Amino acid sequence: MRNGRTKSDYTEFVTARASHLFRSACLLTGGDTHLAEDLVQETLGRLYVKWGRVSRAGNPAAYAQTVLHRTFLAHRRLRRSAERATDLFPDLADPRGVDSDTRLTLLDALGRLPAKDRAVLVLRYWEDRSIQETAEVMHTSTAAVRTRCVRALGRLRGLLGEDLLEHATA
Amino acid sequence: MPVEDPKEHDPFEDRFARALHDAGAGFETHRDLASAGETRGRALALRRRAAVLAGAAAVACAGVGGALLLPGGGTGAADGQSVAAASAAPSPAAGQDAPSPAADGPSPAAGGSGGITAEEMIRTLKSLLPDGRISKEQGRGTDDTPPLPFAQVVHDDGKGGGAVAVSLQRVEPGSPQARETTTCPDRTFVPHDACRTTELADGSMLMIFQGYEYPDRRAETKYWAAELVTPEGGHISVSEWNAEAQKDAPVTRPEPPLSVKELEKLATAPVWRPLADVLAEGKKPRPDASPSTDASPPADAGTPPEALDEGLRKTFVSLLPDGLKVKKQGGQASDYAYLVVDDGHGASMVQINVQPDMSDVEGQLFRDGVETLPDGTKVVQRQGPGEKGGQGVVMWTVDTIRPDGMRVVVSAFNSGAQHTAATRGTPALTMEQLRAIATSPKWRDLL
Repeated sequence: MRNGRTKSDYTEFVTARASHLFRSACLLTGGDTHLAEDLVQETLGRLYVKWGRVSRAGNPAAYAQTVLHRTFLAHRRLRRSAERATDLFPDLADPRGVDSDTRLTLLDALGRLPAKDRAVLVLRYWEDRSIQETAEVMHTSTAAVRTRCVRALGRLRGLLGEDLLEHATA
Repeated sequence: MPVEDPKEHDPFEDRFARALHDAGAGFETHRDLASAGETRGRALALRRRAAVLAGAAAVACAGVGGALLLPGGGTGAADGQSVAAASAAPSPAAGQDAPSPAADGPSPAAGGSGGITAEEMIRTLKSLLPDGRISKEQGRGTDDTPPLPFAQVVHDDGKGGGAVAVSLQRVEPGSPQARETTTCPDRTFVPHDACRTTELADGSMLMIFQGYEYPDRRAETKYWAAELVTPEGGHISVSEWNAEAQKDAPVTRPEPPLSVKELEKLATAPVWRPLADVLAEGKKPRPDASPSTDASPPADAGTPPEALDEGLRKTFVSLLPDGLKVKKQGGQASDYAYLVVDDGHGASMVQINVQPDMSDVEGQLFRDGVETLPDGTKVVQRQGPGEKGGQGVVMWTVDTIRPDGMRVVVSAFNSGAQHTAATRGTPALTMEQLRAIATSPKWRDLL
């Protein structure tokens, strides 16, 4: 990162995207906001190092999301034994009127899923990525993404019950 | 909505997607993640500059030197990202409003109020030094940018002044960075006189390093450091030199002003803990958390990265051609390992980097002389002089990248280390043998 223009582009991009990345990270971590902050910092740090190339290649937002997911998965891979206790509820910021019970329950359920399940769900349903894109981010096949997605939804259904999210659809 | 096959449409899926958006939208952070990310980026860039292919020991070295870069350019911050206080605190922009410290010096209360001042850092450092004349005080607090509390003074016990510095940072407990911070660098890369790491009763790791400011010894400035990482992720770093400044200052005394024992005492002084906790606040138990939850990860989390390093090194050894004896092995990052091998004609260092997710730099690394294998792997071979100035040292490299971005690069030298003179005409492995290692399908299993 050498010239001023590139630097200001980076700052502008990051300022605009940090909140979204943070929210993605919160969902990935099942509501662990501290870990989420760390993941976002790590992601932005990596982005900083590669910014020149990333910005020239276009779509830095997608790139940042990809780095975030891979950072998350790498983190989980390294810390498998340190899964957070499932009875631990995250401290949550302003729920903005969302039924906070539903929100807590959903985050808790997410937190109980394997990391890759969470990553698939967040990519597909929060990022609205296609199966193909999800597969690319996760270095896996589209078939594996489909299977994982179906299984993850099945697990969630088991944890939440078929109707539990009814409240959220209002 | 990501339903691509209408037959699979499922009302639960719709409800989940909406609930997920609601849940995600409710998260806000009070931290300036943009600035924090940039700070980490600068540190990363520094580390990479130091580490390009020289691998992990150089990274460890950058970690050791992290605190030292601060006063001049403010570019320092080893890899442990320091943060302003209280990420989850309701007060806005944590650390921006560092209040003046209590008159009786640092205390846990200072941490609770959200910041550390430069004065507080300097005063605390001075209070812990043995008798002597103090000059050239400098410091920074959490209200500076980046928020890396730091203090440095020149201490003169009558036998010559030496710089003593302390910095507080934060590392992710159990992370590779936390581990690297307190792992003695490998002498193959960072010559030093002594280094040891001990585990303290509270689970903290302490490294005492006695080396040189300039690894190539172009000046005899000695650099000693104590790196303490607490189980909560507080990183207390104390450094000292036998000169009045880190660089470009004449040597004033045979050794830095504090003995190893004094250095250790300074780093482990209880007074730093609450200050470090201000930075590590993000790692404190959440309101609803049972204490045991946060206490367990560091110990548990230490193992998997070790295992990963181990796996990399084992795979590396398993891929060596017959007839080579492994005399030494090392590597301190999950993506780097080195071996010193001997075929009976002298030591030869071979090193490897296995890096996922490198597609974005593929164009830079694989520009000229690229050969593409049937499976899409790109290969570049290079033979040239070594990069670290050892006399007559050559470096043979086979660099590869798989279609999914996994890069495996293997280099061999005609010496047991890069900075020592050549011990033989060519490396102990041929280019073909290096290529066989780099293109092995076994690397895939590691990632």
